[in-house]
Amino acid sequence: MLVAGEGEWMNTSENIVELDDVRVYFPVRRFLSVAGYVRAVDGVSVVINRGETLALVGESGSGKTTLGKSTIGLVKPTSGKVLFDGVNIAELDEKQLKKLRRKAGVIFQDPYSSINPGFTVYRAVEEPLVINRIGDSKERRERVFRALSDVKLNPPEFFASKYPHMLSGGQRQRVAIARAIISNPEFIVADEPVTMLDASIRVEILLLLREIQQKHGLTILYITHDMATAKYFSDRLAVMYAGNIVEVGPTKLVLKDPKHPYTQALIEAVPEPDPRNRLGLRKVVPGEPPNPANPPSGCKFHPRCPQFIKGKCDLQQPNSLKLADGREVSCFLYDRGP
Amino acid sequence: MVNSKVLEVRNLLLHYSTVRGVVKAVDGINFEVSKGETLAIVGESGSGKSSTALAIMRILPRNVAAYGGEVWFKDLDIMKIDEEEFRRKVRVEGISMVFQGAMNSLNPVIRIEDQVAEPLIVNMKFKRDEAVSEAHEALKLVGLDPAIGRRYAHELSGGMKQRVLIAMSLVAKPSIIILDEPTSALDVITQANIMNLLKRLKEELGFTYLFITHDLGLASELADRVAVMYAGKIVEIGSCEDVYIHTKHPYTKMLLDSVPTLREDKHPAFIPGAPPDLVKPPTGCSFHPRCPFIVRGKCDVETPPMLYAGEGHNASCWLLEKESG
Repeated sequence: MLVAGEGEWMNTSENIVELDDVRVYFPVRRFLSVAGYVRAVDGVSVVINRGETLALVGESGSGKTTLGKSTIGLVKPTSGKVLFDGVNIAELDEKQLKKLRRKAGVIFQDPYSSINPGFTVYRAVEEPLVINRIGDSKERRERVFRALSDVKLNPPEFFASKYPHMLSGGQRQRVAIARAIISNPEFIVADEPVTMLDASIRVEILLLLREIQQKHGLTILYITHDMATAKYFSDRLAVMYAGNIVEVGPTKLVLKDPKHPYTQALIEAVPEPDPRNRLGLRKVVPGEPPNPANPPSGCKFHPRCPQFIKGKCDLQQPNSLKLADGREVSCFLYDRGP
Repeated sequence: MVNSKVLEVRNLLLHYSTVRGVVKAVDGINFEVSKGETLAIVGESGSGKSSTALAIMRILPRNVAAYGGEVWFKDLDIMKIDEEEFRRKVRVEGISMVFQGAMNSLNPVIRIEDQVAEPLIVNMKFKRDEAVSEAHEALKLVGLDPAIGRRYAHELSGGMKQRVLIAMSLVAKPSIIILDEPTSALDVITQANIMNLLKRLKEELGFTYLFITHDLGLASELADRVAVMYAGKIVEIGSCEDVYIHTKHPYTKMLLDSVPTLREDKHPAFIPGAPPDLVKPPTGCSFHPRCPFIVRGKCDVETPPMLYAGEGHNASCWLLEKESG
């Protein structure tokens, strides 16, 4: 239930976010009529448990960013239910939605464009508090400095007066994190937070994010295309393909013994710095992800799947199947039928 | 053995002038590439790896402050020849290049086969139908149906466009192909497809590549030898095994440790600090402010030369001097 007051919600739900058959379709307009729909998210049901990091892995165009946005009401689902802290987002008006978003923070991919270049670091980090009218200027100042030292921009007084162009990519991303945590959120959507950064500092930013998570008991949705970072920085892993989650489960299990043929293909394709692989050809599935405006029938992966069952995979969409080890897979290989 | 070197770079230098001062993008590097061999140049952004390619191809921006050194292509120092000779001997049929993110610069209103055939018609005086049939051969080599030649760029997927670019780079049968981040805009499965193609071309047709990438994993998939760049200089060069397994330079070691690995279980580390400002690089070894093995009074004062680390393996680190006595 909604309870008024700054950041004071009843923690009624064990799952901070719960998606139930969520679909997000974007209309494709041709002249004045709607020619079709891009099915960015096409029937996703998943829960995000309080305190965990769920990695959402997929290729570009798989719908992972749209799904991330839908968890905090930044896009409206075409159908299905999004429960944030037990509250159905669709039933909230704009004012209540604004209140709810205080409990969520977002970190975007590109620290070069997500921070206003005309703002000092202080103003950029303070802004969410000002907009939500939280605290007086003295309290805000304390909170900004605390957030800056949380992200290891020390001394905070020194960095507060800087402009984004004076900072390195890693430092900018720290500012973006400080901005995301300033209103004491419970849930953070981190959309490719280290993709734009150099390899040598990626891990540093991810470790920082984890430290902040532990300190503040945050829940993180980590959206990435990179399986390797997901391996070290998530508790559970969800693999997305063409608008569907095809497999979800504890990260270590999914990576060690992937069940869905797409997950297997994705893992096989990742290069590793090991000269023993040199010139060895990788087993690669043919083709490329489908056009989300006109996806294949049945399982969307079937035209590329090495284990395609004719007359089944191309006709029916597989249901999500719960396995004994806490995993869910949408694939007919594991669905022995009733 | 005499002519097995296709490319030999000596003391290559490329500095840019900016409002803040001179950026030493490429600052005196040396390497060679033999026939049939792949050398990967690996580095983070701003390390000078792409500028190295531009310097070899003489594709220079206007704000060049210094440009020098020797680039021996076969038996010719191509830094010393005039623009027309350079165009003929290097750009037309000598060295070709696949540019980073170039799949979005295909001409949208010209058929693919005509774009692939264009250099043959313009530069090599081929008749149009001969050139187009060469283009079809090139498309076949990169695993595309020649019928795709009749299509336009917008009708192709990202991976297909990247294959077209590779077809363009090999249609004139160059001696060496420079690949500048050839897969950086692609998804991981498509990337693996393109890497498989590059490997096959190398194995079956003996292609010579200069492979520029920021990804240590990709480099180890294709390269025979690897050069690691940091702040405009090559800090370590050697065979793939030498650089990845018998690593000598602390930067290479730490960069390898910072890569999260999927198959192997090791906790990735990171390199504290940030790459240096190339306008005011640190004195001495440019890695010394981030190096855990710094020898005070040495590393921060004197720039280490390339030192012997094994047969065909060199690294510029003072630690090696101590080792060899």
